[in-house]
Amino acid sequence: MPQEKAEFLKGTLDMLILKVVAGGPIHGYAISQRIQQISKDFFQVPQGSLYPALHRLEERDWLEAEWKDTSTGREAKFYKLTRKGRAQLETEMLNWERLSDAVALILRTAG
Amino acid sequence: MRWLRRLWHKSLTERRLDSELQFHVEQQAAEYIAAGFPHEEARRRASIEFGGVERFKEECREARWENHLEILARDFRIAFRGLAKDRHFAFIAIFALALGIGASTAIFSVVDNAVFEPLPYKDSRHLVTIRLHDQDQADRWRGAFLFAEFQDLMKQNHVFDGMVANLEDDIVYTAGDGNLQLGGNYVTSGTFEFFGVAPFLGRSLEAADYQSGAPPVFVLRHATWVGKFNSDPSLIGKTFTLNGVSRTLVGIAAPRFAWGGADLWMPRGPDEPRVLREGDFPRHWGVVAHLRPGVTAHQASADLAVIAQRLSAVYPKEYPKHFTMEVLSFGSAVLSPRFRNSLYVFLAAVGLLLLIGCGNVANLLLARATAREKEFAVRAALGASRFRVVRQLLAESFLLAISGAMLGIFLAWAGVKTLAAVIPEFTIASETVIAMNGAVLLFALVVGVGTVFLFGLVPALQASRCDLHDSLRDTGKGVGRTVGRAGLRNAVIVLEVALSLALLFTAGLFMRSFVALQEVSLGLRMDHVLTARIPLPSGHYKTAAQLTSFFRPLLARLKSVPGIAFAAETSTLPPYGGIRSEVEVPGKAHTEKWNTLFQLCSEDYFSVLRIQFLDGRSFTEAEVNDARKVAVINQTFRRRYFGDENPIGRRIQLKELKEFSDPLNEPWFEVIGVVADVRNQGLQEPLWPEVWIPYTVTGSFMRGILVRTTNEPKSMIKAVGKEIWATDPSVAMAQPETLEYFLNLFTFAQPRFGLWLVTIFAVIGLVLVSIGVYSVIAYTTSRRTHEIGLRIALGAARADVLKMVLRKGLQLLLAGIIIGLGVSFALSRVLVSQLWGVSPYDRLTFVSVSGLLLLVGLIACWIPARRATRVNPSSALRYE
Repeated sequence: MPQEKAEFLKGTLDMLILKVVAGGPIHGYAISQRIQQISKDFFQVPQGSLYPALHRLEERDWLEAEWKDTSTGREAKFYKLTRKGRAQLETEMLNWERLSDAVALILRTAG
Repeated sequence: MRWLRRLWHKSLTERRLDSELQFHVEQQAAEYIAAGFPHEEARRRASIEFGGVERFKEECREARWENHLEILARDFRIAFRGLAKDRHFAFIAIFALALGIGASTAIFSVVDNAVFEPLPYKDSRHLVTIRLHDQDQADRWRGAFLFAEFQDLMKQNHVFDGMVANLEDDIVYTAGDGNLQLGGNYVTSGTFEFFGVAPFLGRSLEAADYQSGAPPVFVLRHATWVGKFNSDPSLIGKTFTLNGVSRTLVGIAAPRFAWGGADLWMPRGPDEPRVLREGDFPRHWGVVAHLRPGVTAHQASADLAVIAQRLSAVYPKEYPKHFTMEVLSFGSAVLSPRFRNSLYVFLAAVGLLLLIGCGNVANLLLARATAREKEFAVRAALGASRFRVVRQLLAESFLLAISGAMLGIFLAWAGVKTLAAVIPEFTIASETVIAMNGAVLLFALVVGVGTVFLFGLVPALQASRCDLHDSLRDTGKGVGRTVGRAGLRNAVIVLEVALSLALLFTAGLFMRSFVALQEVSLGLRMDHVLTARIPLPSGHYKTAAQLTSFFRPLLARLKSVPGIAFAAETSTLPPYGGIRSEVEVPGKAHTEKWNTLFQLCSEDYFSVLRIQFLDGRSFTEAEVNDARKVAVINQTFRRRYFGDENPIGRRIQLKELKEFSDPLNEPWFEVIGVVADVRNQGLQEPLWPEVWIPYTVTGSFMRGILVRTTNEPKSMIKAVGKEIWATDPSVAMAQPETLEYFLNLFTFAQPRFGLWLVTIFAVIGLVLVSIGVYSVIAYTTSRRTHEIGLRIALGAARADVLKMVLRKGLQLLLAGIIIGLGVSFALSRVLVSQLWGVSPYDRLTFVSVSGLLLLVGLIACWIPARRATRVNPSSALRYE
């Protein structure tokens, strides 16, 4: 039932990635898995968006990357939050809370 | 700098990107395997799920900064390839642009240096000189004053806050191995402070140097130090014998300091007045003043006029009956007014050239844009964004502009160098240095590069906005939407033709003028004549007898030198004037003053210059040596003052001789000969009556020698110098040169310079215009291939096709020529001062340049027209 799976709101993917990466160094595949798991498969992360987003966040110095061996012995690119990225995550979360509160308020009281 | 590293290690970056994405697919596949799928199936599913790897890679790349550099590089690569494919277009556009930028920068730089910023002195815009004009004789004025006058002007004026004066003096520097003639200047106290230029080496003249009893010192000009003293810094503090006085060199002036055009400057001490006289007469000083802040030249003239009225009572001999005082900017006073006008003509010419160049570039770009409309449409249809198309064109414009600009800067640099080297002497101030002007270069670059971007981009914006469908369907039948742009192209061509005609017309007039000047009959032979000024030290050469004691043996020695046919003394440089005097002829009554020129010369004067005798004879050697009062007159003198009467044996009086420092109280002379007219006011001014008398009658006035040689005159300079040294070692000759050299310098150098410059501009303009006409006609014709093919298929004769294309070109050319005629006549006001012996509306010149332009233009049309007649109708109709 892919048609029921939600499109990402503009900008939310970046926030979700930052949030997931905040938990510690993690590679791209694991990020997509985590988002899918935590959202209980509500968000299907398209790889076509994930990798450009990762590269974009790295370019902005919110993430930094390191090549390390995984548990299986293969080398993979692990992403880590930078100090700037942590600050960005906090701002975005604050904004998101305000937005969702406001939307919730309208949905509850309007009409 | 991460991006920079990535750019260097591009393959590593690419590998890592591959590896990262690969890792994702592997992990996914691993999960499917864990879920029980067979290996192959797991891998396939993972890949499908992941999607188009290449597309993601591209998106990842685009997230990175260095990617923009790559796109830019790609744009430039494509632009370069596009221009290389259209090589003719690129070369012509770059050439036109570079010429426009280079030529205009070079000329504007010269004008700026020579006219607007000629002087390197402190606040030079407020420096002025003073001229006293005789109101009764328009061309008579003096800009030099008695020292006492200078002091009075300085004390009594209310308009200047500084004033200095200089007195030129010939200096003979006596060195161990010979004499060196130098131009000296005595300067008044405070001169170097007034000009405010620090010396290059050593020190300037200081207040103490002007005091009574101060040790004699001098400052040397930089150019003289470099040219005649090998830039030797150890000379400072050394003593030089100048006109018999031991003077210490205290400093080298700043490189551009050239006050009075002198080689060296000496302080005028309080004891100097005795020395600085010409016989019993005080000499005149040049004056420069600095205007008080807020005072205009006009106010200053009024203030000085009041003082001059008082002074005219004190020094009545120095002032004409009616006079005015003029205060004029020092900068403009030192530039010859004729040359200033020439510069304005060059300025106008080069402006036209810049316009033609830009017009050509604009036309080429417009034509190219029209031809590429379809290409733009295809690109847009294939999904190129408008921004991408525009950026592509910008890259092309940028390449054109940058190449044109670089070549233009080079041409400007070369042009300034060349012009600085070939500007005739004595036309600009000695202080002026011709150098490239940065601001002007910037302006020309902005105009040129701006044209490229404007005409490169506007069609691109239009094209990218245009209806794709229309453009793709348009098969080049030259109809419809492109008509507007064709109109613009035609207008540009008509304008170019008009401007080019104006340039050609100017060049034609300059040429006619120059030819007229060269055809003037001089009345004397200039070839094989060597001349030199001989400044005699005033200390022991004052009277006629002293003067004769030098020249008589010198002339005798010179005549015995092998290679010298004749040698004579002269008081002026022919054919440039003589000494002006009022003249009396007994038995002739007249109301207005009778004027004549006269020359002080020796018996061989007429033989040296090969002047023809019409009547009577020349002086004998005995007559000259005995200072007999005999005279030879010219034909104009005879006609004007004797009419039909025989002048031989009659007497005339030269009144001016009474006023000389070594005066002649009864200056009556018996006429013994009449010679044919010889130019005596240069080539352009009307002849004056002229009289020749023996040089031995007075000790006054500047003297020189004329020598007719049997071989190359310049090769005789050394021999002549040796004879002068042998006659009196304290005398040196000044400016030994051939007569032809001076004639060229004073009369032909400037017109030739102007002629060359304008001709070069006109030729370049003509080339650009013919290229312009060719490209427009060729382009229009190629757009009409289909139509022409159709006409031929329907039975049109090839001659008709040829006529049709040529008619189009002829229309444009004729329109341009008519407008150009108007432009030329508008310019004639500027031109008239530059012309001699030809009218600024000269019909012959107009007809010939119009004919030339028409011919060249029609040839430019004929090439594409002929190509059009060769169109094969069947292939033309298939040409869809």
